[in-house]
Amino acid sequence: MKLELGFTQINDIQFSKECKVDNGTLYVDPEAVKAFMYEDDDVKAWVKDFTFDVAKPGESVRITPVKDVIEPRVKVEGPGGVFPGVISKVDTVGSGKTHVLRGMAVVTAGKIVGFQEGIIDMSGPGADYTPFSKLNNFVVVAEPADGYQDNKHEYEHAVRIAGLRAATFIGELARDLTPDETQVFETYGIKEGIEKFPDLPRVAYVHMLQSQGLLHDTYVYGVDAKRTLTTILNPTETMDGAIISGNCVSACDKNTTYHHENNPVVKSLFEAHGKTLNYVCNIITNENVYLADKQRSSDWTAKLCRLLDLDGVIVSQEGFGNPDTDLIMNTKKIELQGVKTTIITDEYAGQDGKSQSLADADPLADAVVTGGNANEVIVLPKMDKVIGMLDYVDVIAGGHAGSLRPDGTIEAELQVITGATNEMGFNRLSAR
Amino acid sequence: MATMGNERDFLILTNNPLVPACMEGKGKYTIRFCPEKSYREILVMARDMVYAGHTLYTHPLSGSVKPNETPYKSVIVSVEPHGFDSDQGEIMANAIAVFDKFTPIGWNLNERILADFQLIDYTLLAGAINFDAAAGISNQSTRRE
Amino acid sequence: MSYKVVHYINQFFANIGGEEMAHIEPELRDGFVGPGMALNNAWKGEAEIVKTIVCGDSYFAEHEAAAKEKILGWVKEIKPDFFIAGPAFNAGRYGYACATIACAVQDELGIPVLTGMYEENPGADMKNKILIVATANSAAGMRKAAPVMAALALKMMKGEKIGASCEEGYMPNGIRKNFFEKEIGAKRAVNMLVNKLNDKPFTTEYPMPSFDRVAPNPAIKDLSKATIALCTSGGIVPKGNPDHIESSSASHYGEYDITGVDDLTSDKYETAHGGYDPVYANEDPDRVLPVDVMREFEKEGKIGKLHNIFYTTVGNGTAVASAKAFAAEYAQKLLQAGVHAVIMTST
Repeated sequence: MKLELGFTQINDIQFSKECKVDNGTLYVDPEAVKAFMYEDDDVKAWVKDFTFDVAKPGESVRITPVKDVIEPRVKVEGPGGVFPGVISKVDTVGSGKTHVLRGMAVVTAGKIVGFQEGIIDMSGPGADYTPFSKLNNFVVVAEPADGYQDNKHEYEHAVRIAGLRAATFIGELARDLTPDETQVFETYGIKEGIEKFPDLPRVAYVHMLQSQGLLHDTYVYGVDAKRTLTTILNPTETMDGAIISGNCVSACDKNTTYHHENNPVVKSLFEAHGKTLNYVCNIITNENVYLADKQRSSDWTAKLCRLLDLDGVIVSQEGFGNPDTDLIMNTKKIELQGVKTTIITDEYAGQDGKSQSLADADPLADAVVTGGNANEVIVLPKMDKVIGMLDYVDVIAGGHAGSLRPDGTIEAELQVITGATNEMGFNRLSAR
Repeated sequence: MATMGNERDFLILTNNPLVPACMEGKGKYTIRFCPEKSYREILVMARDMVYAGHTLYTHPLSGSVKPNETPYKSVIVSVEPHGFDSDQGEIMANAIAVFDKFTPIGWNLNERILADFQLIDYTLLAGAINFDAAAGISNQSTRRE
Repeated sequence: MSYKVVHYINQFFANIGGEEMAHIEPELRDGFVGPGMALNNAWKGEAEIVKTIVCGDSYFAEHEAAAKEKILGWVKEIKPDFFIAGPAFNAGRYGYACATIACAVQDELGIPVLTGMYEENPGADMKNKILIVATANSAAGMRKAAPVMAALALKMMKGEKIGASCEEGYMPNGIRKNFFEKEIGAKRAVNMLVNKLNDKPFTTEYPMPSFDRVAPNPAIKDLSKATIALCTSGGIVPKGNPDHIESSSASHYGEYDITGVDDLTSDKYETAHGGYDPVYANEDPDRVLPVDVMREFEKEGKIGKLHNIFYTTVGNGTAVASAKAFAAEYAQKLLQAGVHAVIMTST
């Protein structure tokens, strides 16, 4: 399957009555975005109002609590549309042409539950840890409708859909642009690939999806990953938004929709594709709570690795605790099939760095890349402006009583920062 | 004797009041509600049962909510002992080690936040055994405010 | 004003001689000696070796307590800002001496310390207690090791933040530290996998905790004919701890006869362990070493008999290598005595 991505760099976002992209600037009318979001009945039912803001790199701005981050894209050639099964029809995506507005994102913020978390600082020490500080962010803050307290499922769904709709609306503005840069990504059928690269090792990406329940979900073509069996995707499908995030917990190591669209493992494997390895496909598998599901899913992962005659895989994880068990089960079983593994995770080694980093371990997991220790403490300075609300900072993961000091600085664990210890290997942060 | 994996064999160990409120009498499982027990004590109870040969059905560290944030925990083990499984014993022992490495926070959690933590724990539990969480909430005997 | 440093080296690096001079007692010299020059030069006046302590490796190994006392006395008097030892490369006794004396200076005098040696040097067992710079396995590595040790030492003297082990050059010490790599994680993972696929060397960023798994022996067919021994790392000893088993980092084990003892009582037994609240163990030592229950089983005929000797040590911070050595030794004694099985209790 072959997909061409056409990138247009966005360096600025301006509110304006006219919606367009011109000379690297996105001009957008918040009222038009709002109207487009409200076309969805669930959004209408559960979101009382939206407010909009723009946060640019280097500004003294803090966005919190962050729910999701999404890159606007639009499908211009080939079957289907972006976010299939959710926004577009369920046609298989990943081929043809897609336009991307690079250098920007839609960020959804606002409380869903009382301990909601996720901080993006646009400048200062915190900015070094989140990739989203480098983007021009169109921030959508949602305010829940009355009665949402007893309908958290519906409200989370509504905010998720609202964010995707905002990104779709903005992505549509890229349809007729001539991209600054294009890149082509192509993987081959099994036999075709072997003929093309007879001497290269066959490598796949085992992509573990968060799938534990409310605020811990991922959707594949609209299907809740909890209810899926381990299966195969073409890597390019992820670039068209085949996988979207419904995960709101553990800010530092949750994979936002932006991470899925710009999956760094997919990107890095494509860079090596045809040179040092033959990139065969992605294998997606879940991280359920029920132990028999874990066994079934990891058995199937190993089975598919064998069936595809793979030589090696990269395994990435999402979340804390429970998924460590899936990670180790997958790794162990895949290695026992004679397929070599490298895994990407992050660590909870305690504030002093002295504790056992993972909740599970096995000597067969002998090639590990780490996104860093999420318990390490960081002090974030006061920002001139807060988008969203700060009153929840005391009750975000990694915060503690008194996290928010009277002078506006925040002392907390790295956990609070959106994307800080990403387990797809999105960042340069590591630990030893 | 309950067959392994059958709902009749599910013994839900929990300190989360929302679990009995939504699930009591709605299925073939058994609920052991221990409101006086802490998160860690629920883990210890589950560990001791797993050591005694009960099957562990759900992962003790379900959810990415860190164990020093939420006071609530629900774990499902088997009603009947089916024999000791060393992998499951290790999962339980590791879970307690993970709990102990987190720095205590000392929050004063208000009712709203407690309710949210109850909701998350309950939903993850319900999802694990295909119990309709939303229906459970709307049918619960004692409604929250 | 520059920082004052004391340097520890052995007889070989002081140019006194090799193995034939390894017996020399500690001596104190002014300024730097031998490898100290490289360190001094690297500090460019910001720090300076004011005294050098020279000690024979055999002397240190055979008279550890006396050597320690003398050296600590000198260091206490000099009051340096920093204590540096070695580097010892692959010299085993020198490495042990460097690590041991550095650890003593750090723990007893509160002075920051650093040493350096090859990763397989036995002294490197102490890498979780003091910082040890990883060096090559021979003195030819001096040119590389000196600047790394000097730079890290200067950072420590200045109280600057110490980075991750791979940035600063010390051996991983069990304390995880964050830092920024040059490449993103996914790229590092692909490179690591390609190396692994091509059987090239690669270094994991997180070594899994090492498991020393022991395959269980076949089950005993008839317990009623078996001789069972009790062993413990919980520190149960006869009252007064006659063999002086240390409350932590035990250097030996004890063996005690329990012929005719049906119950460990608080007037005759106690625990030597310093790592847990001893109240309950001292109240009734059977709680750690269940002689009472074993005697009941013996009477009921459930087991053949309880072995008349128990082996005991303290597991509190005791080096794995020491614990292994103890067990290897008394396992032979148990075998010779015809013991069929052992119940090992921990705390």
